[in-house]
Amino acid sequence: MSYYDIDSILTDGQKLPCTFELEVPGLGILEGNPGDNIKAGTRMDLPLWLGKMLSIGTRLGTSRLVNLDLPPALSERVLNALKADPRTVDLRAQAPHFYNLSEQILELFEEEEMVEILENTFKKRAAEIADHAHNPKGVLGGGVEFLRGLDETERQLFRVAHDSAKETRIWAGEAKKTGMTK
Amino acid sequence: MAFPLPRGITPPEISFLAEMEMVTIMPRQRLESLELLGGLVEPLLPPRRATLPLWLALLLKRQRRANILPPSWLHPESLSLILDIETQHHDYQHAFSPPPPLPGQPSLRNLNAGTIARPRFTPDGGRYFTAPPFLPQNTVQDHVLDGEPPALPFHWLEVGTMLLDAASDDLVDPDQVRRLLKELREVRTAKIREGVDALDAAATGGGGVALTGVGAMEVGEGRGFISGVVDGLRKIGASKEQARREQMAEEIANGGYDGTQDDDDDDMEF
Repeated sequence: MSYYDIDSILTDGQKLPCTFELEVPGLGILEGNPGDNIKAGTRMDLPLWLGKMLSIGTRLGTSRLVNLDLPPALSERVLNALKADPRTVDLRAQAPHFYNLSEQILELFEEEEMVEILENTFKKRAAEIADHAHNPKGVLGGGVEFLRGLDETERQLFRVAHDSAKETRIWAGEAKKTGMTK
Repeated sequence: MAFPLPRGITPPEISFLAEMEMVTIMPRQRLESLELLGGLVEPLLPPRRATLPLWLALLLKRQRRANILPPSWLHPESLSLILDIETQHHDYQHAFSPPPPLPGQPSLRNLNAGTIARPRFTPDGGRYFTAPPFLPQNTVQDHVLDGEPPALPFHWLEVGTMLLDAASDDLVDPDQVRRLLKELREVRTAKIREGVDALDAAATGGGGVALTGVGAMEVGEGRGFISGVVDGLRKIGASKEQARREQMAEEIANGGYDGTQDDDDDDMEF
């Protein structure tokens, strides 16, 4: 991921529930009380980049500042829904950058089962995306609900598949080239 | 994006490459031998067939100076046979019909029949086997190899479409051919889409996905989607892959690969 990748920047801004393990002097600004201390045991949502930095003691083995939890987008409830049927879950409502987020989370947590569920989800949904991308009517018809629930990675996938199918159709003379650029 | 062009090559570029394929024509006019960058083009003498690059053949066809003889796979019979293989044959339910055999390789159907290699020789006398795109997969063969089933060459879709466009009057039953090409394309596109299930093998180290028999245009069309899926799966599975590598490194450290380690040590001494 590039330094200037806007998707990666937005992913870093997503909130992660954290619990402070120690009392931190002067960090009350995070709670909206500038100048105060943050008490041990305070729970709050911090952006991914900040939570990652504060929890760094976990990996070094020293006492850590905050304890990270799984974000609501990757909660048990969502994973169970994905296990049941990946196609009906609105990933975009969970997190706009669902896969990028889970990728970062998986770096922090060791979750063998989550990897498997997510891989299966991605595969199942990718096949569905390919169907919609090759069939322009699907966008207007019953596919709207599904396509609205695509996360950013899947939207890019849809666009790539749709564009290449369209270019091939234009080449074969089945479709007219429009003046519109993507 | 800083780089506006998508990865891979566009359909017009693919069909440009396909124009390098050699086809057989029946000239109607005499033409002296042409000296082109790619080598000499044989002189055209009307009753005699000649083999030309597709782009030149199409040019002559448009000027009504030649007729193009369709390659053997572009007949309705061959195409419907291939379509049968793609749809009915249980070995190819999820695979593509086999490509034409390469020279120096036994046919896919009967591996025991021995090679049908016919080596060619350089001016220095060196032996070599031609490889695509210099294989005459779209020319008309005088002798059909016994029992050799028809097969789609690498540039089947491009050559087929271009010939239908420019030389439909030279084809046998062009409407039927057009319909069969379209059907073949649909069947094979569906197979590419089904292949997503197999793609996680490509995302892990050492895995691979068989694309034997997939044509140039199909590869070009599927490239963006397939690489996107593989990339996504790779990212999701990155932590699992990391764990696997660590485990492997541990095994090596614990003496799991004694032999190789000794070799390394020996090398170090020199």
